[in-house]
Amino acid sequence: MTRLLALLLLVLWLPAPAATLRVALQLEPPLLDPTVGAAAPIGEVVYGNVFEGLVSLAEDGSAQPRLAERWLLSPDGLTLRFTLRAGVRFHDGTPFDAEVARFSLDRARTEGSANPQRSLLAAIAAIEAPDPQTLVLRLQRRDGGLLQSLGSAAFVMVAPASVATNPTAPNGTGPWRFAAWQRGNRIELARFEGYWGERAKLERLQYRFIADPSAAYAAVMAGDVDLFANFPAPEHLAQIRADRRFELGLGLSEGETLLSINHRRAPLNQLAVRRAIAAAIDRQALIDGAMFGYGQAIGSHFSPRHAAYVDLTGQSPHDPARARALLAEAAWPADRVLSLKLPPTAYARRGGEILAAQLAAVGIRTRIENLEWAQWLDQVFVRHDFDLTVIVHAEPLDYGIYGRDDYYFGYRSERVKALLRQLGDQTEDADRRATLQALQRQLSDDAVNGFLFQYPRLLVQRAGLAGVRVNAVGSLELAGATLPGAATAAAADHGAGPRALAWAVLAALGVGLAVLLRRAEPRWLLGRLASLLLTLAVASVLIFALVQVAPGDPARHVLGLQADEQAVAALRAQLGLDAPAATRYLRWMAALLQGELGESLTYRLPVQQLLAERLPLTLPLAGLALLLAVSLALPAALLAARRPGGALDRAVSAASQIGVSVPDFWLGVMGAWLFAVVLRWVPAGGFPGWEAGLAEGLQALALPALALALPQAAILTRVLRGALAELASAEFLRTARAKGASRWRTLWRHALPNAATPVLTLLGLQTAYLLAGSVIVENVFFLPGVGRLLFQGVTAHDIVLVQSLVLVLVALGVSLSALVELAARAADPRLQRRGGGA
Amino acid sequence: MNRRLLAGALLAGAFTALALLSLVWTPAPLDLIDITARLQPPGAGHWLGTDHLGRDLLSLLMRGAATSLGVAALAVSLGALVGVPLGLWAAARASWLDELLMRGNDIVFAFPPLLLAVLLSTALGPGAVSAILAVGVFNIPVFARVARGLALPLWQRDFVLAARMAGKGQGRISREHVLPNVAGGLVVQLSLQLSLALLAETGLSYIGLGTQPPQPSWGRMLADAQTLTALAPTLALFPGLAVALAVLAFHLLADGLRERLDPHREAR
Repeated sequence: MTRLLALLLLVLWLPAPAATLRVALQLEPPLLDPTVGAAAPIGEVVYGNVFEGLVSLAEDGSAQPRLAERWLLSPDGLTLRFTLRAGVRFHDGTPFDAEVARFSLDRARTEGSANPQRSLLAAIAAIEAPDPQTLVLRLQRRDGGLLQSLGSAAFVMVAPASVATNPTAPNGTGPWRFAAWQRGNRIELARFEGYWGERAKLERLQYRFIADPSAAYAAVMAGDVDLFANFPAPEHLAQIRADRRFELGLGLSEGETLLSINHRRAPLNQLAVRRAIAAAIDRQALIDGAMFGYGQAIGSHFSPRHAAYVDLTGQSPHDPARARALLAEAAWPADRVLSLKLPPTAYARRGGEILAAQLAAVGIRTRIENLEWAQWLDQVFVRHDFDLTVIVHAEPLDYGIYGRDDYYFGYRSERVKALLRQLGDQTEDADRRATLQALQRQLSDDAVNGFLFQYPRLLVQRAGLAGVRVNAVGSLELAGATLPGAATAAAADHGAGPRALAWAVLAALGVGLAVLLRRAEPRWLLGRLASLLLTLAVASVLIFALVQVAPGDPARHVLGLQADEQAVAALRAQLGLDAPAATRYLRWMAALLQGELGESLTYRLPVQQLLAERLPLTLPLAGLALLLAVSLALPAALLAARRPGGALDRAVSAASQIGVSVPDFWLGVMGAWLFAVVLRWVPAGGFPGWEAGLAEGLQALALPALALALPQAAILTRVLRGALAELASAEFLRTARAKGASRWRTLWRHALPNAATPVLTLLGLQTAYLLAGSVIVENVFFLPGVGRLLFQGVTAHDIVLVQSLVLVLVALGVSLSALVELAARAADPRLQRRGGGA
Repeated sequence: MNRRLLAGALLAGAFTALALLSLVWTPAPLDLIDITARLQPPGAGHWLGTDHLGRDLLSLLMRGAATSLGVAALAVSLGALVGVPLGLWAAARASWLDELLMRGNDIVFAFPPLLLAVLLSTALGPGAVSAILAVGVFNIPVFARVARGLALPLWQRDFVLAARMAGKGQGRISREHVLPNVAGGLVVQLSLQLSLALLAETGLSYIGLGTQPPQPSWGRMLADAQTLTALAPTLALFPGLAVALAVLAFHLLADGLRERLDPHREAR
């Protein structure tokens, strides 16, 4: 117990943490080396941050200097000469020079290399490094796209000594160096002090991975992340945008969303049929319905952000009449049902439903099949067993797929192949642009696929966060990022006010407790204490029994379903799960008495530490709610009792009747809507921490406390008014009135103290309820308190956490009830004379 | 018939009727997902609008009433069926058993229904059963205390003393003489506890520990609507209103019944 108190006191003194930016992405990368893995999340974390290439790509697709300062292409287009930057070092100290560059590129292009983009370097015949700052690429044929290809994440520069360890401990030249990777949890990068360019402004980066739309929303609202790179739930953006704590960075990604058509399946190989499908599609309705309006309609397979983009949406407008005419022309069989196979993403599921309806409206029947990723890859991508599918093509500048005969949608066109060859030959921007535009037109004319929309980039960030750069590959470059208010090395700490207040409150409570204890009868006190301890002991047995009955093996829950038996057995031994129940219970009790609440299975932290972090939110919240409830109930009850049966009395009675019937979390939701979304007076959730200042903290707690307080106030009003009304006819009150005391004085000085007893008893009961109620309210407002912790523990099946937390909450509840009883007895000596337990 | 009783009975009756009706008929099918008709405001086709999947809100609310009322009724019945006999027994014995019972009550009281539900969900998994058990077990000491409080004074009354002298056992006396006389007060408590159980059930469904989807429940509807209030505030308004009205109904019913049964006491 003393250890818990000590931790709590420590929290009251803790300074704010170092400048860390917390970034959320949807998917965790399987490894951290983009030269051996193709998964997009790899580049999202490390490209531009940990690793750098010779060039980087600007938003419009043009190559910009990175590790190469400048370059020169020979007139015949067969020699590309780079001048490399001097003074560049890897994180482990290895110097970067032309030899290293040659090594990196040779490694990527060798036969049998694991590099996912190896084919893009096919034009290179040989690489030379005549001096440390010069790299020469000798090409066997012209390749207009080679420079851009070098900006791909797959061709970053790597040091020869660290290639084996790069997948788990990446060693690059970028502004951030690798610090830690807790699989399934987070990746940490730290500022690289020896960077060749401008040092990063922040000290640390923390990446976490949240794919579930609700969890993503909760994380943002709770303030768990500062930046969400690709927010997975466009339906919540309106809510987030309305919250003044956040800003949205909306743009377009490199992903073209298509309704892919399988050309191998008749009659989908007929141009008329494909044009009919294109005419049946209403792109705007699709964007509104599936993406809540985010995204830009496209008419061909090309990103609108690029200089060579031409808007061809007018070539295939929504025209159901034309679609039907084309289908009739193609003699579309009315009984034909097309399979529409959808991957497990929200845009595909929603979009698929809408497209099915649009196609049905012109007479094309579809059958939707919802697949998991593995199934989709197997059926659609590998075996080509589908008619239609909806998918985003995320790779930038991937129009080359239309030249591949064996690609999953099976399109073949000599004209397109010719255009692509021509493109390979061209190196001048103007020429390339013309060819690219011709390519786009060809794809649109051929109605190769249903070209739907460019997938939006949905970036959510804390208001005031500046300097975030999104590069062309879609990854965030965060060297220039700054957090609001963290301009200086020492983050501003306004925690002095709240800390002083906390000490004052604790002191006042301490003094009050001392007074009450002195006035209490020792015999009663001992008896009550014994009763308290007995209750707690029985409660602990109950809690333990219920939690231990939980099905499944906790160790297996923690390690996951694929964990091997050895790991599970080791964890079971470590947690002492093999001992009999009675032994485990006694161990738990023994640890409790020493102040050890156990170690959480999910957080891998001591429960008392987690508690100490969260009690400074939950306790003030409950206290504030109690204060509000009493301040509302007291005047209301007094006003009502002044004239029993009067208009005011009836009004208060009706209001309190309603107040008791309304769920506090509904009040919270509607309150959040009114005060946060509509009026923008307060944030809709989250807690900035007491370091942000007393006003900030109270502002965040105001709405939750009010939601908690109103139903409590209603109950209190009813009881208090009832007690006062019952006393109204009491003799001593009539005596007071006869002596000339005013109505108010009678109520205040004489009636109220006597009515206090039942109210105090009620308050004691209600405190326990308030604590329990805060569990729900904390979830409404995404407050990082004990309630949310408990709930997260339940969801994660963290029995250690749940066990200890429930016991702590129960202990708090019964202790507070006992304290209130103590106060009641002190206030009303008659209770003492009655003797024994109440 | 006083005003509260009338109002309470009508409202409660209406909710129960709608809840029962929803089991056989709803204005629109409950599982009809229509993304194109999503988040519609109240209008001709859908009287209360549609939710984020295009389902008819009125139909969902009706079925949600059945869910919530069902769970609440079962929980309160559990509490009454176990608690009343316990309380009557305690009043009859008035011995160490009585003390033990009251101590036991204190322990159960220490666990607000929410914490009980948390523990039960960890043990049994979240769902209607955990919710019913959690709320039900919490109701046991409530009914025990009320029954005991109501029965205790009766044991001093003449007709009970006469029955005892006639040789009737305590159990028989409790059943034949005490119970009919405390029934009125118990019915009042039943109605009150129903209103509280409704609130508890909604809270549990809200945080996901009660009835699980796809069964509609008011609490779940509120949770889903919470993230969309910027787009469709009525989505959160109607389920909350439904809860408030239903709870109010049973509360009024309880107050009205209390007034009716004991006209000397002023209904508060």
